[in-house]
Amino acid sequence: MTHPTKLPRGGVDPPTEILVSRDAVIANAIIPSRALIPLLQHSGKAAICLVKPGDRVKEGMLIGKADGSRSANVHASIPGIVSEVRELRLPQGEVCTAVAIDLGGEFETSGKPRARREWQGLSRPDLLDRIRTAGVVGLGGSSIPTHLKLAVPPGSSSPMLVANAVGSEPSMSADDALLREKAPEIVEGLRVCHALLRPARTVIALGENSEELVPELERILRQSGMKAEVTVLPSRYPHGHEQLVLAALQGKPPGTGTAATVLNVATLFAVFEAVLLEKPLVERVLTVTGSIVRQPRNLKARFGTDIRDLLEECGGLTSEPGKIVVGGPMRGVSVDSLSVPVTKGTSGIVAFGIADARPGAELPCIRCGNCIEACPWDLVPTRLYKLIRMGDPAAAEREGLSRCTECGCCAYACPSRIPLVAVLRDGKRSLLSDRKGTPDA
Amino acid sequence: MRENPGAAAPPPLPLMPAPHLGVRLSTKRMTWMVSLGLFPAAAWGVFLFGLPAMGVLAVSIGTAALAELAVTLPSRRFTLADGSAFLTGGIVGLLMPAGVPLYVPAAASAFAILVIKQSFGGLGRNWMNPAMGGIVFALLSWPAPLSRWMTPRGGALQDAVLTPLDALRAALAGPGAKEGSPLAILSSAGYSFSGMDTSVVGWVNSHLLAPLGTSLQPGSFDVLVGHVAGGIGSISAPLLALGAWYLISRGVIRWHLPVFYVGSFLVLAAIFGGLGSGRGWLAGGPVFHLLSGNLVLGAFYAAPDPVTSPLTNKGKCMFGIGLGVLTFLLRYYGSLGDGVAASIVLGNCAAPLLDRWAARRGTVESAS
Repeated sequence: MTHPTKLPRGGVDPPTEILVSRDAVIANAIIPSRALIPLLQHSGKAAICLVKPGDRVKEGMLIGKADGSRSANVHASIPGIVSEVRELRLPQGEVCTAVAIDLGGEFETSGKPRARREWQGLSRPDLLDRIRTAGVVGLGGSSIPTHLKLAVPPGSSSPMLVANAVGSEPSMSADDALLREKAPEIVEGLRVCHALLRPARTVIALGENSEELVPELERILRQSGMKAEVTVLPSRYPHGHEQLVLAALQGKPPGTGTAATVLNVATLFAVFEAVLLEKPLVERVLTVTGSIVRQPRNLKARFGTDIRDLLEECGGLTSEPGKIVVGGPMRGVSVDSLSVPVTKGTSGIVAFGIADARPGAELPCIRCGNCIEACPWDLVPTRLYKLIRMGDPAAAEREGLSRCTECGCCAYACPSRIPLVAVLRDGKRSLLSDRKGTPDA
Repeated sequence: MRENPGAAAPPPLPLMPAPHLGVRLSTKRMTWMVSLGLFPAAAWGVFLFGLPAMGVLAVSIGTAALAELAVTLPSRRFTLADGSAFLTGGIVGLLMPAGVPLYVPAAASAFAILVIKQSFGGLGRNWMNPAMGGIVFALLSWPAPLSRWMTPRGGALQDAVLTPLDALRAALAGPGAKEGSPLAILSSAGYSFSGMDTSVVGWVNSHLLAPLGTSLQPGSFDVLVGHVAGGIGSISAPLLALGAWYLISRGVIRWHLPVFYVGSFLVLAAIFGGLGSGRGWLAGGPVFHLLSGNLVLGAFYAAPDPVTSPLTNKGKCMFGIGLGVLTFLLRYYGSLGDGVAASIVLGNCAAPLLDRWAARRGTVESAS
């Protein structure tokens, strides 16, 4: 086990009193009687719909075919009959086609043990094909199809491969829980990626709160014969961000180190299932928490499950919700109803009460500099904010606006409750639309 | 419920941008906490100087609040709750002598709020610390009333009453300055030290310092705890330090600026101060400087005002050093009070420049 010597700057320490108990096992969420599966659950274009109302689908059947290189396959998460194919507005605002499946018929694969397939003899293209076919995308937040990250030109290799288990967001413990329960499978997934990339250095990066898993991981690594380091990083938010994990591991300022492939542990588990079990990605582990959730839990939920069902499964809400967030508390998107389906990118659900939902009245900037201290990217958020508000996003761009990853630390740290991230995001958007030459993008 | 037509839809949940968490320490709370930090020192001043001190504070705070109301009401903004006007009025009053004619704190507070703060757009937009600007305005307008002090516990307002700083200046300026100590000058001016001072200094001298071959002068204890003539809230360094510790430990102010301010001032006073501490502690050396005048209050409560100090920690350190140098120069060669308010006001002018010098890597070349 190693500890990095030089850590990235910035970050914040939100209170974590709403943590899921660390001893709790990951529970399988109830199978929904109806799954509403959006065909856009990844970074590229929406998948092409392959089914029509009335079609009978089997569990794991392909219902959406990847459209273009950055798109990904989408599969039926439950067996049944397609009852509807319609437009759906996703929490992030995009509109896509969604397939509604009414549960029916047999579960042909769930609950039955699957034989592990041999993969060592497979060629790189065959391995990548299994990952691509299964619709695996980055489950840590990027939603980029994973086979793209693992494809290197023939003859070359990636300098570094990192399994990222540093918590992505405060209170989101699904990755940690998965690592506790599925470490051998995750290491096996890492071995597949290792075989694909042939990296010079392989690291499993853990957060401080998973530190006791180190001996177990090192034992599994020894058994697997793969040479990899296990490194413990501080769990301070947002230092689980891919660039910041790399910065800590390489001891360089973020964005200046050598290229590397960073995969979240949930993604590695999906790679394991895709390659060894030939199982498509139809479910994920997510954290359901928040001040008004009666019993916060980590649940394994099928895509298309309503978040309402998952909140029910956690004992329901103790009071009227003031705000429901899909994703984590720092980067998640608030939704206006509980009828939102779980997708590949849903890392969690956070329910706020009426009292803790509102950020408080906005006051003028008092130039305290807390946002500067909090920014892990060495930006001056208050200045970028003022430049964008003055209508000069280009000037903000010259001062590093594009380095902003919208981690939310500046807005979190702002005592005047200024929506810094929202304005910086607007600034980035207007720059993009200027570049495209369209007035509204 | 946009996606579920027909059903009796519950009211939609509010949509808000991420992040969905925020620090508990809001601007409003921070501002009130600074007032709270000043409370012990203010209470000490009221205890020592009685009703006249309360009158000055009531007028300075009341005028600040009224001025803020008068400016913000027409635009239907109610900004008194943010605590900023209260704090400005409070600091103005705390730096004044008890018993000063009440039009002086009133004018200083009104100038601070109306001219310095609100004419630039209110909280966050003023480039000069309002309270310090108000004090400088008053010092320039009414220097005589602002140099008449009350002796603690029931003394009347007198021309002849000296503050420790006055005595220090007299010691520095007078003939044979090197022999006279400010405390000796204080007592020769008819200033009677408290009974507590006599017993504490006597005890310390006979029990602790005699074996070391040194001694404290009479009056040392009074100067240390702030049982002397001076500004209502600026005399008690220990109580100001207590409040400052509270603010720093709670993250309201960062230590960089005050520490570099006080530190650089002390270094200069030690090297060029003229009166060494060789004749015993508190006899006119750097520590005596620290305990006299408004240095502690200014360094911990006025200079760190985030609005008018540089943004970055590096800038704050440089700002602190600059203030220390300015305060030293103004105190030794200037005539505007003890130089603290004037140097903070001058420093405020340079804060934007420091922001540019201390800009973060990656932004420095493009800051225009």
